[in-house]
Amino acid sequence: MQASISIISTVIIFLLMVKLHKRFPYQFFMPILTSSIIIIAGLLLLNIPYEVYMEGGRYLQHLLGPAVVALAYPLYNQWEMVLKYKYTILSGILIAMVSGLISIYTLLVIFKLDKELILTALPKSITTPVAMQVSETIGGIPPLTAVLVMIAGFTGALLGSVVFSIGKIESSISRGIAMGSASHGVGTSKLVDYSELDLSIGSLSLGLSAVIGAILCPIFAYIFM
Amino acid sequence: MSLEKGFPFSNDSMRVVRIIAQILILYIFYYAGVLIGNLTKLPLPASVIGLVLLFICLQLKWIKVDYIKDGASFLIGFMMLFFIPPMIGIINYPELFSLSGSLLMASVIVSTLFVLITTSLICQWIEKKELAMKEKKEKGEMDHASKYIHH
Repeated sequence: MQASISIISTVIIFLLMVKLHKRFPYQFFMPILTSSIIIIAGLLLLNIPYEVYMEGGRYLQHLLGPAVVALAYPLYNQWEMVLKYKYTILSGILIAMVSGLISIYTLLVIFKLDKELILTALPKSITTPVAMQVSETIGGIPPLTAVLVMIAGFTGALLGSVVFSIGKIESSISRGIAMGSASHGVGTSKLVDYSELDLSIGSLSLGLSAVIGAILCPIFAYIFM
Repeated sequence: MSLEKGFPFSNDSMRVVRIIAQILILYIFYYAGVLIGNLTKLPLPASVIGLVLLFICLQLKWIKVDYIKDGASFLIGFMMLFFIPPMIGIINYPELFSLSGSLLMASVIVSTLFVLITTSLICQWIEKKELAMKEKKEKGEMDHASKYIHH
């Protein structure tokens, strides 16, 4: 009963917010942002704990599994392009991973945050399930890692298009690699606004950075911490 | 209402049935990913393993694109919705809004922007090099071929 209430209200709020975003196509009316704010406000006002919301919410979250599997479809459609730019893609993902690890580590050391928080933040650019696994292996706090992963995703989804227009990034390959490896699935699903090629390079990059990140993060933590 | 031959359903309800059936196929691949992940202890999420499996099956033509096309497009279109529940998880961490919490969040945002800008700029540069290299190679092959023809 409670489960179906949170599923139905999440879907209805999301669909209304999609409508709102169509009417006012500004970045800050992005449906995931507005829906999350409304739901959080609602839960806080009605004093409903997260665990109760998740009784239904986890079914929606569970659909992320087949949704990520579905990214094989654009990837299949664009495979020729992927092969054509294989060196760019591989080196791009490595650059993204290394620059992400070094920048987050440097910032948190400058701000003098605890070792545990630094370990929690290191896997922020990898897709949620892998990030949580990595966080656990290196000694971070997995559920907090999941929240930071969402913030990284949001940053890309919300500000990615601004970054791309300032940097004059006109290539689908570059946008896909940057978004997939910096902002995983959340950023990648926003690439629908550009083209199918953007989307497929993005999904390839998010998959590859999950693999590369799962290997590099523990090595980085071992060397620097 | 237009009816398909032999089916007492409208095209719309057929489409709904087709999308649901195709999502079930995608779920099968997802659970195959779960199984393989558990058996092999790969440091990869089940969904990424499922993605690779489906991709291989599509490449080898074991599965027709038409069998998953509509379901896949539907799920990708609604992907943002599925990210809402983990996003709501933020309410379990009110300390994120303390000083060190804000610094942590700000660092994640700044680092992500840094990665986006450096990666996309460097990629755009490498991409041009890779393309130029290929063109040069192709041109080289063509020159070689034309020399051959002239002799």
